Amino acid sequence: MARFILIRIFQAFLTLIVISMVIFALARASGDPVMLMAPPMATLDDLQAIREHLGLDKSLPEQYWVFVKNVAHGDFGDSIRTRRPVTTIIWERLPNTVSLGLSAIFLGLIVSLFLGVTSACKFGTWLDNAVKFIAILGQALPSFFLAIVAIAIFAVWLKWLPTSGLGGPDHYILPVLTLSFFSLPIFTRLIRSSMLEILDSEYVKLARIKGLSERMVVWKHALRNAIIPLLTAAGISFGTIVTGAVIIETVFAWPGLGRLMATAVMERDFPVIQAAVLLVAVVVLMVNLLVDITYAYVDPRIRY
Amino acid sequence: METVGYGTRVRHLWGNVRRFPVIPALILATLVFVAIFADLIAPYPSDVMSLPDKLTPPFFMPGGSMAHLLGTDNIGRDILSRMLFGARVSLSVSLLVIAISTVIGTIMGMIAGYVGGRTDAVLMRITDAALAFPALLIALLLGVALGPSFGTVVLALSALGWAPYTRMMRGEVMKVRQEDFVAQARIIGSSSWRIFTRHLFPNVVNTLVVLMTMSVGLVILIEASLSFLGAGIPPPTPSWGSMVSDGRNLLERGWWISVFPSLAIGLVVLAGNFMGDWIRDKMDPRLRQL
Repeated sequence: MARFILIRIFQAFLTLIVISMVIFALARASGDPVMLMAPPMATLDDLQAIREHLGLDKSLPEQYWVFVKNVAHGDFGDSIRTRRPVTTIIWERLPNTVSLGLSAIFLGLIVSLFLGVTSACKFGTWLDNAVKFIAILGQALPSFFLAIVAIAIFAVWLKWLPTSGLGGPDHYILPVLTLSFFSLPIFTRLIRSSMLEILDSEYVKLARIKGLSERMVVWKHALRNAIIPLLTAAGISFGTIVTGAVIIETVFAWPGLGRLMATAVMERDFPVIQAAVLLVAVVVLMVNLLVDITYAYVDPRIRY
Repeated sequence: METVGYGTRVRHLWGNVRRFPVIPALILATLVFVAIFADLIAPYPSDVMSLPDKLTPPFFMPGGSMAHLLGTDNIGRDILSRMLFGARVSLSVSLLVIAISTVIGTIMGMIAGYVGGRTDAVLMRITDAALAFPALLIALLLGVALGPSFGTVVLALSALGWAPYTRMMRGEVMKVRQEDFVAQARIIGSSSWRIFTRHLFPNVVNTLVVLMTMSVGLVILIEASLSFLGAGIPPPTPSWGSMVSDGRNLLERGWWISVFPSLAIGLVVLAGNFMGDWIRDKMDPRLRQL
């Protein structure tokens, strides 16, 4: 077990290095920030001064090394646009995204558990078909469309909820609902198929023969085992949630990390995009690592 | 060979025909047709503005006219025509992206699965990194890095798109290379190239086709998301994603500007997913869990 965890951590570390190099290379290729921030009347000397000030005149490997050293010290530099430390900006935005993302994952899990189990128990009925239909539709409809339609109906037309921004609990409703739709279809399909398999197994039959109530059989004996594959899906769908956050936060003008990334890319703000994307990569990697370890722990057959 | 009665065979054939997803196939065929012949069918060019006609509702609403079947946007461009031209973008981007991802992914995956050892370890580390990474972020980053253009969108979507193919092909090749016929081919002195093309590839091509069809919908969705965020194909070329984005702030006065392109995206993705499912069941039912 310890060996397995060590190998996994080492692999995650290697992956992180690959990702950091790619991000670094891409960000440097993303055009010249000097031209963007220099005033229109700037002379060539001014441009050179700005370039040196930003450390952009050094060679790429040198720049990467400086980048890694600084990151190791928790220093991501200043935003080229706002000149504020990137770490500060990210810390400001992070709680908004975390609260949005966690609520969405939580809601997605609860709803999909309910939908998946119901649909597996009522296999072949209209209820099952309805759930399948929702799952298929959820995978096909563009998420920004759902968000826009939700705004149009509940905010613009009915005026029940605010259209965008951050405020009281009512500001959470639409973004969380639409963001949870990113993972809902996958979760539901997965629970449904693993529940179907398990409801057919010997020990479920035994539990029924023992005379346990249907509720005990389904929600305790069967669901416990059906949840295992969901672990991996939850890990993978974490990346989906991040992607979703960029779109949903943009649509709802939500001051989170996703919107920060979208605007940083548009403004070609190197340090911000580097830090934000690296942060996301680290979190995605850690979540996947945790999932792998939990998986090995829950299912002893899996060994490295 | 097993002998089966005529009736059984007919019923079997009918079973195949019946399960064929007719409506999804029609939708996809329409998409291809429309994308090719957009110039001929579209009632207007994609970028002609007509301010007196701006915000005309679709024909079935009061104030709508047959001149603009699906209405016009806030600068009087015909929605239907723009959607027809937008089909071109969706189709050509997704075909190119899938082609590029398939080629890169297949080569990398087959090498990793066949050679194994350190090569495999390195290739799979890179693949894992690509798989774990949210594709949209790299696509956004690349979109701005190289400036928005058709080529950038294709490159951005292919940049991570190869990873699932590599994963899948590696697994398949690892299974096939255990087979006796591969060992025998090696014993009689076949070159690696011959083993790859004659023995390994024909045995994994089914899986490949399934994965390709199943990713059509996904690629169209990501392309639309990119255009929606303003990092897709630059205006004035119409794309469904950017059309949705154009109408985003006009929902009260002109819901049709965003809704029709969104429905088009949804329908095509849905059709692609259904076709993918059908082809998977036909060619490689083992992949059901996918």
